[in-house]
Amino acid sequence: MALSCLTRALRSLTLSQPALVSQAAAWSKLGAQVPSSAVIQCRGFLTTASLEQNRVRWKQREKYTIRPIGMKKTGGRDHTGRIRTHGIGGGHKQRYRWVDFHRLRYEANREGQPFEEKVVEVRYDPCRSADIALVAGGERKRWIIATENMQAGDIIKTSGVIGRMAVSANEGDAYPLGALPVGTLVNNLELRPGKGSEYIRAAGTSGVLLRKVNGTAIVQLPSKQQVQVLETCMVTVGRISNVDHNKRIIGKAGRNRWLGIRPSSGLWQRKGGWAGRKIKPLPPMKVYINLPSVSAS
Amino acid sequence: MFPETAQRLKTAAPLFSHAAFLTDLKRLSAHGGARRHLTVGRCLTAKVPPPRKPRERVEIPGLEMVTYGERMHYVPGLAKPAPQHWERDYKDPRYYKSPPAHEMRLYKDKPCYMFNQRTSALEGVRQAAWLTKTQVIPGLPAQLLSLAENPENQIPDQDERVQNAIKHARFWDTTEDRPRKEKYSNTLLLNLLHLCATLQCSHPAVGRRMLAENYSLATTWKRGEDLLQIRGQNGLLLNSMDPLPEMSGKQEVADTADHVLDAFYPVSPTIDLQKVHVYKEEVNHTGFRDDYPYPHAHTLYFLESADPRCKLRPEQFRTKMIMFTFGNALARAHKLYGTRPQRLLDRPVTVQSVGTNGRIFQFMVFQLNTTDLSGDDGIKNQMWLEEDVELYDFAKVRPLIKKKQVKVQFLFEGRRGFH
Repeated sequence: MALSCLTRALRSLTLSQPALVSQAAAWSKLGAQVPSSAVIQCRGFLTTASLEQNRVRWKQREKYTIRPIGMKKTGGRDHTGRIRTHGIGGGHKQRYRWVDFHRLRYEANREGQPFEEKVVEVRYDPCRSADIALVAGGERKRWIIATENMQAGDIIKTSGVIGRMAVSANEGDAYPLGALPVGTLVNNLELRPGKGSEYIRAAGTSGVLLRKVNGTAIVQLPSKQQVQVLETCMVTVGRISNVDHNKRIIGKAGRNRWLGIRPSSGLWQRKGGWAGRKIKPLPPMKVYINLPSVSAS
Repeated sequence: MFPETAQRLKTAAPLFSHAAFLTDLKRLSAHGGARRHLTVGRCLTAKVPPPRKPRERVEIPGLEMVTYGERMHYVPGLAKPAPQHWERDYKDPRYYKSPPAHEMRLYKDKPCYMFNQRTSALEGVRQAAWLTKTQVIPGLPAQLLSLAENPENQIPDQDERVQNAIKHARFWDTTEDRPRKEKYSNTLLLNLLHLCATLQCSHPAVGRRMLAENYSLATTWKRGEDLLQIRGQNGLLLNSMDPLPEMSGKQEVADTADHVLDAFYPVSPTIDLQKVHVYKEEVNHTGFRDDYPYPHAHTLYFLESADPRCKLRPEQFRTKMIMFTFGNALARAHKLYGTRPQRLLDRPVTVQSVGTNGRIFQFMVFQLNTTDLSGDDGIKNQMWLEEDVELYDFAKVRPLIKKKQVKVQFLFEGRRGFH
């Protein structure tokens, strides 16, 4: 509440002049007899600088670490202070474990070679529905999204090589799409090679590798949408852990509040065209390859 | 004052927003003073302007930017001068920025892996064994156990005195309800040391030993292609004038050559060690000067609660014990036999160590047979490790009260005595 008052107050200043300095200049220029104290000692609102202290600064770390990082909850508010997404707020305090989504990240001296890592521990992550696994390989440790049957002590392989024959992949290993046989269940899909996995990361989900065409591969996402990506995109084999996540019963309103979900507005609102069951054909396949244009003419 | 100014400004035809600001400010300052919230009669909500991006600074090679820096005042049309880096020409210790790593005097390209007091090794005892080229033998050597069982070496009323020592550490040593872990583990260790020292009448060798605390240890050795160092301020060390006798004979030492070290692929053995590029090479220091009358390290004592910020699991605690014991032994060996790697030492250096968390003890004897640690083959060092020895089961502070009568003031249960 204090934050919203404060932001409203500050907005009133920004609407008029860009900076307080120029305001003071404007005052003096027009020969106002306002004592300078009036502008500086305005007690109507706070002028301390510690307002947005940790809002995004907790995310600004450059060096990777496996230690959990303290998080600042936003409550669904954006940088202006207004609610952008309703129904978010409160809930148990959470610490963020920095998950490395670039599965094919080589160590400093060992570029280009497939490597293996050992799973040290698989644990619950409060920030996502899936479990995370601490893997150690060479001289570094990192967090990755755990697959279904991953246990402490397993060895998982990551390779960026696409051979002529398809690899018989074990669960938890990561390969480029071109190296896997058609029909494997995959997760942690990269849309562009080297960008990091952005799709199929939720608990119990998995995609299916449908076809491999020229230098591309077509994957079916859990929503039955099909995407066409380059075959060098990295992907992990298997289903994501915590398979029974969608079968859990919340049980009471309090448990939802512990998860940080606030109740929705109780106002009865007439449902529009968006509501109700829809039966429609699948959307067309999304292509994430920059194909050279057919002709310039 | 304000209304006049407002009228003057209105006639001067300012921007609409400026007037709006003035009315707001008028109301703001009118409230002033004690109230810290903002009340306005007018609606202030409006669409927030998007954050403005600063003007792009375009660098055209060959063209020099004409800035108003020389003129010392802003001139419209000229560019803003780029911020100049200014350095103090004298040295002020309050404002000293250390140079980046690659500009430091001791910077080396080859990294060195440091083990210090706060290192928590992932693989535990196996990793320490690989780094120190050691064969781990579970259980203490038979000579030591027979020494302990020998009634001549035991204190009169041993059990009772040990129980008193534990009770003092766990119950009596505080004005609060119960002493904290750091305090009671420290007190218990010192009490037990004192009990051992009372044997001085019958064993004069006890008098030729001296305790030392917080000495800085530094050792360097090469393992394969990696340079490894141990640095740290150890807790408690019992020094002695005479070296410890060796635990295993020549034949057993030679047999260790057949032992194969545990490898733990894919994890590298240097995982969790601090990798530094700025270090002093070939630093070997036992922590004491050359003319110290008690040169030989006898026993090290480790407390789990010595560093409150660093909590180590039992496996990692044992790793720390092993590494620092090895460090002491190696520093001593380097001093006696020089820093060149020796395949077999004439007199193996033996060091013992004890680690505790106040209730559970870990005993260890380390025998350094070789300083040639680069390869994986050849004679290995030996280590006898007894893990998780409980001194007592529990020590409950709350008095047992039945029917408003104190039955037992504090409960302390132990199954076997300390030897």
